[in-house]
Amino acid sequence: MPGINMIVCSKQVPDPEAPPSLFKVDTVANKMVTGPEVKPVISQYDEFALEAALRIKDKLGGKITALSLGNKIVRDVIKKALAVGADDLILLEDEAFDGGDSWSTAHALVAAIKKIGQYDLILCGRQSSDWDAGQIGLGIAEILGIPAVTLVRKVEVTDRKAKVERVIPDGYEKIEVTLPAVITVTSELGALRYATLKGIMAAAKKQPIVWKPADIGLESSQVGAAGRRIKLTKLFQPVKEAKCEVIEGETAAEAGANLAMRLRQAKLL
Amino acid sequence: MDFQLTEEQEMIRKMSREFSDEVIAPRAKEMEETGEPPYDIISKMAELGLMGIPFPEEYGGSGGDWVSQLLCTEEISRGDVTLGTLLDVTTGIVCQELYVFGTEEQKRQWMVPLAQGKEIGAFGLTEPNAGSDAGATQTTAVLEGDTWVVNGTKQFISNMGYKNSSLVIITARCPQFKREDGKGVINTFVVPKGTSGFTIGMHWDKMGLSSYPTNELVFQDCRIPRDYLLGRDGRGFAQHLQVLETGRIFIGAIAVGLAQACFDASLAYAKQRYQFGQPIYSFQAVSFKLADMAMNIALARLMYLKAAWIKDEGLPHSLEASYAKLFSSEMAERAASDAVQIHGGYGYMTDYAVSRYYKAAKLLQIIEGTSEIQRYVISHNL
Repeated sequence: MPGINMIVCSKQVPDPEAPPSLFKVDTVANKMVTGPEVKPVISQYDEFALEAALRIKDKLGGKITALSLGNKIVRDVIKKALAVGADDLILLEDEAFDGGDSWSTAHALVAAIKKIGQYDLILCGRQSSDWDAGQIGLGIAEILGIPAVTLVRKVEVTDRKAKVERVIPDGYEKIEVTLPAVITVTSELGALRYATLKGIMAAAKKQPIVWKPADIGLESSQVGAAGRRIKLTKLFQPVKEAKCEVIEGETAAEAGANLAMRLRQAKLL
Repeated sequence: MDFQLTEEQEMIRKMSREFSDEVIAPRAKEMEETGEPPYDIISKMAELGLMGIPFPEEYGGSGGDWVSQLLCTEEISRGDVTLGTLLDVTTGIVCQELYVFGTEEQKRQWMVPLAQGKEIGAFGLTEPNAGSDAGATQTTAVLEGDTWVVNGTKQFISNMGYKNSSLVIITARCPQFKREDGKGVINTFVVPKGTSGFTIGMHWDKMGLSSYPTNELVFQDCRIPRDYLLGRDGRGFAQHLQVLETGRIFIGAIAVGLAQACFDASLAYAKQRYQFGQPIYSFQAVSFKLADMAMNIALARLMYLKAAWIKDEGLPHSLEASYAKLFSSEMAERAASDAVQIHGGYGYMTDYAVSRYYKAAKLLQIIEGTSEIQRYVISHNL
């Protein structure tokens, strides 16, 4: 099936590898706050989704459009998608897109996907590295009325169908799905390839296409924080307490028995 | 005035950083212990296009700039110094010398595979009796008809001991062609591996950088065609010195990468090592060392980037290259020493990376002109 059109949703997130001490919670605004030391990256699961698309393109050719929604999207971060081999990069970028929930984000992404028009396969990460909601892929499929397969570790496209392997706790399922479809990709698929110098040089020269809410036929009131359907009531960092209690006994056997008693008392046994 | 990297430079730095962290650093200890060059990593670097960033695509490069190549070199060296020095010699010196002074045919024949990273080039200046006094070369090249006959020995030559090393550029005195002072002129020549009379001699075991091949090269009635002369007749030594300036910027970048690795390891260790009931980072004796390290790394980085930027602008940069080389290499040796000190007894154990960093740091004060030669260059430019 030549000329397969793929759209890969990729989100810019604060680097989850940054030390936890650099992530703070603003309890008044119910927001996560990071210092300038935390650099933005493409959400790692989205990188796996991009790799999945690139492998299909390696084999069958076709076109990959990377799609990202946010505000203040850093160009040298998001252009990595172009550098590794995506053909186009579309940014839904506006202040109005800030603070959305899974609904308003999926809704806006679908509006953009409809504007792109041609798609056989939409690939998303299984979840984002920041909020971990894991709803975008499914939301897009639901709104578009097309099938979705989650937690995909392998994908092959043949004759208007995708054969995928879906990770389950004890192994994997083999699933066949008709296209167009959404798949969400998991880490077992493998890491995103490195951008080559050639890819980087070409990406640096290419400008992303930027769409505002009006460009995809939406009002500012329908996107971002204004378009939320979920209200976050309380965001906080749980206080972790670690206590150390030394269980003693005259002999090792007695100490062992005392430990078992103490664990039972704590309802851990 | 603008300190902002371009999008392209930033992307190259990020990619090199990820590659260094994920592919190089996990292998560095094994490379040092076995002394085996990591051919798989080198060929991956070639595939990514890291070996010829500043050269035009038509000559096997990527069409980028020197700032990008040096940012990449810093990041690669942070993972392992041997791969930084590999870049210094093959890209910074050999490729550049072919690019700047080579004929079109020489570029096509020799430079393209080097810039693509398929082959590796070496640079033979040092001799048993010509170290800092590199002009005292005793290697000779005598023209017999259309053939140069080369005799002599080059010492401590990097890059020639790889499986895919393809050629060495050497300096040799040509007694038939006199300078004004009556001595023979110095020319540079390309000697491909496998040329009859050219032997890759003994392999040196070094204090550090064990996976980086260092050999003696022997030329015994080694005959090369007349057109293997590189650049202008009589200008060989000057040509060599010109590309060595770039080599000095490379050492600046390598030293910054090494010092950054020292800093990262030491900061992490100081925060998790408890003594007297608190992390040792809470003691000024330790945290002030790290503060100095961080400041000096930032300063050294600015110096090599400035030298690289001036080079990209096509302006003279010998002073800035020497500043960067001297300051960065001395800074890195101090950082490595402090890193071992912060790690205490553990730091002296080969299980800990800082012991490897310490051995590597010393070399950077010697190669591409010792610290003393840099001071000589600087003082003669004042």
